[in-house]
Amino acid sequence: MPNYNIDARQDMTYDAIVIGSGMSGGWAAKELCEAGLKTLVLERGRIVEPIKDFPTMNLESWDFELRGGLTPEDRQKHYKGIRTGFIGEANKHFYANDEEDPYTEVKPFLWVRAHQMGGRSQLWGRQCYRWSDLDFEANARDGHGVDWPIRYRDLESWYTYVETFAGISGEALGLPHLPDSHFLPPMELNCVEKDVKARIEQQYPGRHLIIGRVAHLTEPINGRGKCQYRNKCDRGCPFSAFFSSTAVTLPAADATGNLTVRPFSIAHSIIYDEQQGKATGVRLIDSETGEMKEYFARIIFCNASTLGTTRILLNSTSSRFPNGMGNDSGELGHNLMDHTYRVGAFGRFDGHEDMYYSGRRPNGIYIPRYRNLDEQTKSDTFVRGFGYQGGAGRAGWGGAGNADGFGAEYKDALFTDPGPWSFFITGFAECLPYHENHVTLDTQNLDKWGQPTLAIDCEWKENELAMNQQIEIDAVEMLERAGLQDIVGFNNRHEPGYGIHEMGTARMGRDPKTSVLNGTNQLHGVPNVFVTDGACMTSNSCVNPSLTYMALTARAADHAISELKKLNL
Amino acid sequence: MDRREALKRTALLGGAAASTTLLGLLQACQQQPRLEWQPVFLSMDHARLVAALVDTILPATATPGGLDVKVDLFIDLVYARTYDAAGQQQVVEDLEAFNSRSAAQFGKPFADLEADQRRAFLQEEEAGAPPFNPRVWGTAVGEQAPVGFYRGFKAMAVWAYCSTEAIGKNQLNYDPIPGGFRGCVPLSEVGKVWSL
Repeated sequence: MPNYNIDARQDMTYDAIVIGSGMSGGWAAKELCEAGLKTLVLERGRIVEPIKDFPTMNLESWDFELRGGLTPEDRQKHYKGIRTGFIGEANKHFYANDEEDPYTEVKPFLWVRAHQMGGRSQLWGRQCYRWSDLDFEANARDGHGVDWPIRYRDLESWYTYVETFAGISGEALGLPHLPDSHFLPPMELNCVEKDVKARIEQQYPGRHLIIGRVAHLTEPINGRGKCQYRNKCDRGCPFSAFFSSTAVTLPAADATGNLTVRPFSIAHSIIYDEQQGKATGVRLIDSETGEMKEYFARIIFCNASTLGTTRILLNSTSSRFPNGMGNDSGELGHNLMDHTYRVGAFGRFDGHEDMYYSGRRPNGIYIPRYRNLDEQTKSDTFVRGFGYQGGAGRAGWGGAGNADGFGAEYKDALFTDPGPWSFFITGFAECLPYHENHVTLDTQNLDKWGQPTLAIDCEWKENELAMNQQIEIDAVEMLERAGLQDIVGFNNRHEPGYGIHEMGTARMGRDPKTSVLNGTNQLHGVPNVFVTDGACMTSNSCVNPSLTYMALTARAADHAISELKKLNL
Repeated sequence: MDRREALKRTALLGGAAASTTLLGLLQACQQQPRLEWQPVFLSMDHARLVAALVDTILPATATPGGLDVKVDLFIDLVYARTYDAAGQQQVVEDLEAFNSRSAAQFGKPFADLEADQRRAFLQEEEAGAPPFNPRVWGTAVGEQAPVGFYRGFKAMAVWAYCSTEAIGKNQLNYDPIPGGFRGCVPLSEVGKVWSL
């Protein structure tokens, strides 16, 4: 495993410092270490090593005292994150303590954090979709936000690069607006999904229902095992079958001998040298001792998550940057985006009662975007688009609370009757970048270490609400035409943040006056600081973002290495 | 009939009727054998009610019943450990109201009813109880109408039953490491409902 800089007696100077060890930080560490740079990864939480630190990975419900339940104390500790519905006895140790590190919701906003090595790559939904120029050109086309400084061609080979290493399972479809990845074999649809797919594709030319594209190995690669279909991913995978930084990128970085991970290290700010006109290191707080320390490097990669990175940059003030490092434009902290979520439809499928499935597939179906692709599909009420995730299944005994009856017959049916088939889809809609959706440093409310927290002021606006309406209407109609029964349309009207796809608060752009980062993810004003987590996103597409963070990180690291060689940084 | 309505109606029964009922309850309690376990949260009377409900919903047949796998003990633990003070207060009120409805109808708490009386009573409780909304990734979709005490309890009892090792491993179809996924398999080939 990596060198751990625990006693701080080692040299304080490295070639590179990466702040954050999650989805994008792991990639930065891998690429920089493989290029020969001595790299220090700062992780604000504890060390997590696969298997050793996955205490619940093999447990069943009966092994847990509360069989998955939470105590009032657990709910208090996770009083923000609990709103996701994802936290339980089996995975609570991977979710941040909201009491130690609070934030203020100026308007309702859910910020889900995972404060340990691996970050949210330990908990993510693993859906992976390439962006296309429909996405990269969106801002330029309809005038919202600023233009991306890159296009699909700039990222295409980097997508292939990260996909080949991460392992993405899926089916090639040849859609120009949802480019195919370099795929491992796809997972299988179940009977009802196949049936619904056929009906939707017949009823709606141009719409597709496909198996989700996921960062799961369906064949072993690089010494990692293939998915065993246990569907216990959020406890940590003993087979390293799904992509996480702890299982995939950090071990690769470590294999070079160039990686040092310093746990319990909360990045406080980036140190700016006024004479040299560049960043020289990172100031951190040791979360266990409260001590402040400084580490130095030639380049800094910020991968602390969209809002984590933003907090660090806002807190990095100097004479040159009184309002936060690289914030000449005034856009740092602004243009916060997420995907709208939990709007869709649910129905019962009559038929295939004699069919079932075997294995617990950690994946569902995907319906790629079909609106606002061209003149024919143009909407009158909104710009941009949405896709759906969903799936079919039989609830088994989990649905017995709704089944009529009780007694011997009812009980025996728990063992023999898997219950009706149901099918649902839920939309993920693109959100526009609004300057007024922003975060600020909150110096009144401090965290456990006396540091300013974030005040988050963000809301959905007309375009997102119009899209949500369409999502529900389309979902109900598709389910009707696909033959579902007792269809329920739903719109849970969740606050932003619920999609756990925060993006945009240090956006890339062509013009330093209106953006924070350049086309290679460098702060316009401080070129040896790179931001390659979700903060860099200029718009947010409607597809899940992690694959794009991976590709952007690998590309930016390649640029950093090449600039270092040329002595430009 | 929701819980508040039930309480109101119980209250309307008036002093004399209530006193008689209460006396009946006391006498009945004295005649009952003591529980074989010490509840953490529930009163003895409420523990008897929980046990009676579990036994009626999930009786022992050729396969173990709810009481055989200690569903009642686990429900007591769930109330004790996972409910906050307000939730616990609600449970007490719900159990009280449930017994009051039983008493109003049959003059006895639920645990002391004959088998056919229990069935008739539960059928009435079940009728008109709104279902649980579908759940998507851990969250109910749409506006959830209150399912009422009985349906909530039934779902909890089934969960407490199926999540035991005795049932989850030995009665349901338990496959901890499937190794692969097949999307269309005849139910007859799978045999039983999946445990996980």
